Amino acid sequence: MRTLDLRPHHLVLWAAFIALMLLMPQMVGNGTLRTMIFACYLAMFAISWDILSGRTGYLSFGHPFLIGIGAYTTGILTRRYGIPVEASIPIAVLVTMAGGLIILLPALRIKGSYFALVTLAVMELMLQLVPVIRPDLTGGTRGISRLPALTRGAENGYYLAAGLMLAVALFAWLLMRTRLGTALWAIGMNEESVRGSGLSTTRLKSFAFLVSAGIAGLAGAFYAHYLGSITPRSFFDINILFQIIVAVLIGGAGTIIGPIIGAFFMVFLLEWLRPYMPGTERFFVYGSIALVLYMYQPKGIMAIVETIVSKMKGSRA
Amino acid sequence: MMQIIVQGLLLSGLYALIAMGFMLIFSIGRTLNLAYGAYIMVGGYIYFWLSQQLGMPKIVGFAGAVMVGALMGFLKHRLIVKPLKGDAVAVEISTLILAIIMQSVMVLVFGDASKILLPIIPGVVTVAGAQLTYNILAATVMSWIIIAALYAFVRGTHTGRAMQAVSMDEKGAAISGVDPDKINMITWAISGALGAAGGVFFASYTQLSPQMWVAPVIISIAIVIVGGIGSIIGTLIVAHIIGFLEVSIVALWAPELRGVFTMLLIIGVLVMRPQGLFGREEH
Repeated sequence: MRTLDLRPHHLVLWAAFIALMLLMPQMVGNGTLRTMIFACYLAMFAISWDILSGRTGYLSFGHPFLIGIGAYTTGILTRRYGIPVEASIPIAVLVTMAGGLIILLPALRIKGSYFALVTLAVMELMLQLVPVIRPDLTGGTRGISRLPALTRGAENGYYLAAGLMLAVALFAWLLMRTRLGTALWAIGMNEESVRGSGLSTTRLKSFAFLVSAGIAGLAGAFYAHYLGSITPRSFFDINILFQIIVAVLIGGAGTIIGPIIGAFFMVFLLEWLRPYMPGTERFFVYGSIALVLYMYQPKGIMAIVETIVSKMKGSRA
Repeated sequence: MMQIIVQGLLLSGLYALIAMGFMLIFSIGRTLNLAYGAYIMVGGYIYFWLSQQLGMPKIVGFAGAVMVGALMGFLKHRLIVKPLKGDAVAVEISTLILAIIMQSVMVLVFGDASKILLPIIPGVVTVAGAQLTYNILAATVMSWIIIAALYAFVRGTHTGRAMQAVSMDEKGAAISGVDPDKINMITWAISGALGAAGGVFFASYTQLSPQMWVAPVIISIAIVIVGGIGSIIGTLIVAHIIGFLEVSIVALWAPELRGVFTMLLIIGVLVMRPQGLFGREEH
């Protein structure tokens, strides 16, 4: 594991982060915990999006498609076929990875705005297709309800969500420190030169898409069981896409901690605004803050923090 | 059969109009302007507000919608596109955020429930055995007039030709004495106006709702890319392919599958022939 280049301060930071996440239930109430559960799932979606789009530069506008496949697979298997969740969630992950291969196909030929459009069209296709194909399985526009719950109470739900998120984050972090992660990053910089260095970009891209889809499917499946019900509108929707992308960009694309910070920041921003503006104006303010932050620093909060840190170091020196 | 042809022609005209405004921006900046959906949505709502809630004449409502659309396009260029200096990804992301913001503004002002627009011109006419509302007929005729005017403008006037020049080669245009910044600004404003006008007709064809912008924006992006960037004729042809496809599916098969085949067509063409059916080779 020489290539990983683990340093002691990495381990200390990770240990502190994990400890902080796991101690949360002792420090905050159940209401805040529920908010944090959602933030954890959003963070997982964001990490998944970042592995694909933040690294390789293939802007995916169809991520809700992958998350929705995960959610629907486990929903259909548990509710319609009575398969236990222990089996249905792994199957959901595999099915979502197959879905990832579907959006990989266009990525082999096109990129940039064209790829973004194809993925957006795939998501819209699912939104229109899911209610009409086999409504006996998908439940049509009303979706599937009463999915088996995995946990009881906010505290257990939080431990599950936070544990999953930490595992996903740690996995993604380790993965990105390998040569593979570097190669994915290089694809985002200049795909031709990666190919010129004798690496198979097709294989690298397939790998990124599979990992991203696997995480999306995992998070989507657990999220579906946490929610207890799924509808086409609640998954294949542009608002979900918006939340994921904004979380990544506000936090900082191309990092692991960035999407997590972004997800927590955006989810809590929405919560803090709730007492002052109970209605839709909240989303207006939320969107505007996202836009201003993005226009101010497209590299996200991580970059802002780094600038401040380096300035402080500079003034000390 | 006649019904399909007539209805197909009508829907295609509408799609062509919506796609035109998008085409202008895409050919100039190569950016996926997702906020184009916001023009469509806002156009429809402004018309609804002026003509149905305030009871003004319909033409005032329409003019208001077009002006607000143009203003939005102008502001968008000034406040977002210019500061980002042609970073395509950043523009795409910020337009997505902007579209969502506009959606929440519309929910805020007009509520979440969908609204039915009163027909622009009431009444029904029978053409070749097909029942048609004057409303849709008027929308199509207006669409064609606007498209023809746009074509004449782009081909015939100095500003229009400058727009073409900027879309082909911005530096070259600048050397020839065209101010690309000013042309860009004009293009964004025209695009906004076209989007808003298309939105009024589109809303009267379907209905007004805060989520109404996603499908038309995908369709118009697709028409433009499939038709080939910068080709008005290609845009027209593909608008008709998609319009007829949708009408035939609804009439001959199942209404709920209408959007499905459009999306499949878009995905298929983009994967097989990314430069579009009629466009010039790029990338």
